[in-house]
Amino acid sequence: MPELARLRPFVPVLSSILAVAAAFLSGALFLWLTGKDPGQAYAILLSRGLGSTLGITETLIKMAPLLLVSAGLLIALKASVWNIGIDGQFLIGASLAGILAPRLAGGVPLAGVLLLCAGAAFIGGAVWGVVPAALKVRYGLNEIITTIMMNYVAIYLTSWLVKGPFSDPSVVAPQMPTIPPEFRLPFLPFTRIHIGLLVGLVAVLLTYLMFRYGATGLALTILGHSRKAALHAGLPVNRLVALALLLSAGMAGLAGANDVLGVKGLFQGEWNPMYGLTAFALVFLARLNGLLVIPFAYFFAFLLFGGEAMARTARIPAYFVPLLEGLMLLFFAISTYLERRYRRGLEP
Amino acid sequence: MTAAQWQIFITALLSAGLIAAVPLLLAALGETFAERAGLLNLGLEGMLLSGAFAGFYAALTTQSMVAGLAAGTTTGLLLGLLFGFLAISLRVDQVIIGLGITLVAEGSTGFLFRDFYGQRFPTLTFSTAKVAVPWLSDLPILGPALFNQQPLVYLAWLLVVGCAFLLKHTRFGLEVRAAGESPLAADAAGVNVAQTRYLAIMIGGVMAGLGGAFLSVGDLNFFVPGMTVGQGFIAIAIAMLGKWQPYRVFFGALLFGTLRSLSTGLQIIGLDLRPEFVLMLPYIGIIVALIILARRTQLPAALGLPYERDQR
Amino acid sequence: MVANDDLWLTICGGEIHTILGENGAGKSTLMNILAGMLRPDGGRLCINGQEVTLESPQAALRHGIGTVYQHFTLVPSLSVIENVILGLDLGFVLDLDRAEQQLKSLLGDFGLAVAPRTEVRYLSLGQQQRVEIIKTLFRGSQLLLLDEPTSVLTPPEVRELFAILSQLKNRGIGIVFITHKLDEALEISDRITILREGKKVGAFGPSDLAQGEPGALAGQIVAAMFGGPTPTHLTGAGRSRQVLGPPLCTLSQITALDDRGVPAVQGVSLQLQAGEIFGIAGVDGNGQKELGEVLAGQRLVSQGQVMLAGLDLTNRGVTAAAQAGIGYVTDDRLGEASVPKLSVAENAVLKVFNQRPFSRWTVLNRVAIADHTQRLIRDFKIKTPGPEVQLSTLSGGNIQKLLLARELARRPKLLICNKPTQGLDVLTAESILQMLRTQADQGMTVLLISSDLDEILEVSNRVGVMVKGRLVGVVPRGEANGEKLGRLMLGLSDA
Repeated sequence: MPELARLRPFVPVLSSILAVAAAFLSGALFLWLTGKDPGQAYAILLSRGLGSTLGITETLIKMAPLLLVSAGLLIALKASVWNIGIDGQFLIGASLAGILAPRLAGGVPLAGVLLLCAGAAFIGGAVWGVVPAALKVRYGLNEIITTIMMNYVAIYLTSWLVKGPFSDPSVVAPQMPTIPPEFRLPFLPFTRIHIGLLVGLVAVLLTYLMFRYGATGLALTILGHSRKAALHAGLPVNRLVALALLLSAGMAGLAGANDVLGVKGLFQGEWNPMYGLTAFALVFLARLNGLLVIPFAYFFAFLLFGGEAMARTARIPAYFVPLLEGLMLLFFAISTYLERRYRRGLEP
Repeated sequence: MTAAQWQIFITALLSAGLIAAVPLLLAALGETFAERAGLLNLGLEGMLLSGAFAGFYAALTTQSMVAGLAAGTTTGLLLGLLFGFLAISLRVDQVIIGLGITLVAEGSTGFLFRDFYGQRFPTLTFSTAKVAVPWLSDLPILGPALFNQQPLVYLAWLLVVGCAFLLKHTRFGLEVRAAGESPLAADAAGVNVAQTRYLAIMIGGVMAGLGGAFLSVGDLNFFVPGMTVGQGFIAIAIAMLGKWQPYRVFFGALLFGTLRSLSTGLQIIGLDLRPEFVLMLPYIGIIVALIILARRTQLPAALGLPYERDQR
Repeated sequence: MVANDDLWLTICGGEIHTILGENGAGKSTLMNILAGMLRPDGGRLCINGQEVTLESPQAALRHGIGTVYQHFTLVPSLSVIENVILGLDLGFVLDLDRAEQQLKSLLGDFGLAVAPRTEVRYLSLGQQQRVEIIKTLFRGSQLLLLDEPTSVLTPPEVRELFAILSQLKNRGIGIVFITHKLDEALEISDRITILREGKKVGAFGPSDLAQGEPGALAGQIVAAMFGGPTPTHLTGAGRSRQVLGPPLCTLSQITALDDRGVPAVQGVSLQLQAGEIFGIAGVDGNGQKELGEVLAGQRLVSQGQVMLAGLDLTNRGVTAAAQAGIGYVTDDRLGEASVPKLSVAENAVLKVFNQRPFSRWTVLNRVAIADHTQRLIRDFKIKTPGPEVQLSTLSGGNIQKLLLARELARRPKLLICNKPTQGLDVLTAESILQMLRTQADQGMTVLLISSDLDEILEVSNRVGVMVKGRLVGVVPRGEANGEKLGRLMLGLSDA
């Protein structure tokens, strides 16, 4: 059918949008079944992020870590490396920033503090990916389990760090010392949005450029499609796998520092925003396309923000948002099935 | 420490370890079936958590442990069917489905818990009496640890034996093994690979649901959102490390259950380690175990997890 | 495409009926029809006098036809007896002892010769094949189809197989033995049917075989299989009149393992001259592909040396080989040689994109890549809407042209081609062969690996035949013809 064929280039985005819509519908059903008012809930969920300057600001602030994390995850997934350890890598980077910044503050100028913390966080995150990467390269051990295990180790390790050697004794709640405001990420002029958002945008754009115009990006893409072809082409497969994993891990760590230096001003105990799985849904829905990541990151950011608002005002637990994300992943999966059917229908 | 203190310590450790091992064991046994049939179920964590919540809710509402276990098992079964439908009939990427199911489970259980109970943390007030196996429970050290337990623990052991039997000595088990290793050969021999896989994942779901229900109803008597803390993933690793053989899986689960309950045990003997380090142990242990296994045997595809991108 | 044309075959019980033919002669298609995998487009299939249609392999089994394929359908980690009863309904609980008893009584003095509880992965290929045969017997087969059964066996195992087949024959079981090996056919057959290009070109009944003298019979069969006029579009002249350049590439005693760790190439030595087209003929699976991979740097050798223009390239990898001037077109077009989901342009530079001029300091020069691809499209007449479309939209022939173009554009000194015209229509195939000829005329050396004898005879200066990893004969084009090469490929002596 020729009409169907004309749809072809739009199919991926269309199916992502359909998946989101289906997820929202299912979510509405869930709400209704639990005696909530879906209309009211969605109204809050979707409007808070857009309806006010505060809302937009908060959304943009939330967007920053999502952008960074997604950019890293994109790199890994394009190479078919499943880095599920993002949350752990994020926490490691965040805790390193939380440790270094208060100590450096005052003795080192702002730029120095920021750069040193960023560097430490990136390296720390990457180091957290070394064990899974080495195991995959050396023994062929699947990285899914190893990265997930490292997540939990990171959670407990950083928990110890914040409650033990680096805790702020002046406060009861477990946290590291507060970073003086003048040593945090500066704001964009005329706004309360810290420049971490720019860092995130730059990261996504660089990632997009790397895959569009970079030889490394093409090498990773080839590897992601077919290991056999990569070997045939003479590409250094092991080095590429390690690069993908370490790069994404480092970026997750950087995102952690971003949040600590920009939003929270300190590293807090019992804190795990779990951007990892959100990024998973995000990146897949964006069809592993760097440019699409930006609007989807915005969308997910205002979902997260709306979720908090929803919890506060409508007494709908914030857990609704991960539920939506999971539903989006499942419907995204279903949409790939439909796409396959569609493509086969197109064939003569 | 005196000999008597050591004895108390080891008994307490083993006993607690055994209880902690049950959810791991059940989930790992279920995953053994699934992976043997060729499916990688990353939704195991979600199924465990869902079973825990469903079980807790049912038990709390009806004040009946059996109802709780039944609810948990049914929830696991349903989620298993969902996974099966997406993975087998629609043949969609299993990693995505698994993570999706886990996310949905985390979201929905957290949501429902907060919705029903607000900021409270209700607990189950009944607890099941332990049953002592006559004579065996009088053995030194091992006796009270292993043979003076809740009936569910004994059930778990029976399930180990049952699973081993099912896998090795029944036609179904044979077809599961064939479907996972060579679906083409199985198909050529007339095995209905899809149906076999459906049954396998249903077993996986049922076991995970039961294990989760035990966690909240049998062991801890409460529910907290996210309480499984990655045990589903540990169970997957245990299934792998045990090379998908039920008896080995049992020992793996026991080992990691003991590691998990170590913090209580250490307190008893007065070792003052930071709890976080002890809590880390199971996860580090998995990685270490994987490294050891990888170095000793050259199992390429098997340790890479039996996950085929396009199966029949 | 008609693979089998109007065949007329009778297969009787208690008889070994051999179907003899070259690669592509239509044997596999015929077998697949009998095995229930394929439906015939025309004609009738009668079993025991009754017309039947076989919709599936299970249906074939129900009619008593059991198939033993070249690639065994056994589950490695299961035991012999488990494999035999897999898929059968013998009760919920497995009673392996009873199954063993049943099996023993069924086979009688035929015997198992393998311990029934051993896991299949520990058995030799010959033993595994025996298990496959036992599987079909256990399901009550009266007709056994064997697809190239000796291709994976050692000589002693071949003896054993023939002994088994005789025993089965004596019990009244009909056997269809599909092979390309002449000597074996002569040894065990009661009846031989020869296929060529889908048609039956010869038949020998029991009396012919009993009375005929082996040498004469062999001659008649070879003539039927390979002789006669060459297809009209080929000149068959080869390139014997070319003046060749100095020696370019030397292989000495190359020994290499295949992916399973089994020796695939054994002590191959070869010297190639500049401007020469060297054809490697042989049935698939005799080490040719691995030899090509060795030269291309994709496979390690356990012994031996690869020299190109004075450079030692042994075990130095793909990049070193490519830089030294070796090009490689593999036979796996879509799985290994290219990434179908990427664009034509990206595939065109798959091996070179991180070198100048296609990228500088890791930045791709998409313009240069596109230009390069356009040039390839133009020069090699590749039919495609443009360089940016997905490779998978191209036809097989055009993909092959691109793969060839990709290598030729780098002006390699030595080009290795594995089955370059497989699956292509006549015209495209001819244009590809012409490309090779032209390049060779300009001094490039070509190693052409193919199972298509006509193609090899068409363009080669010399032809080598590989059998079981060894180079069993190197024949100048002037002396080579189909029959001579056929004999070498079939394992007969060069008479």
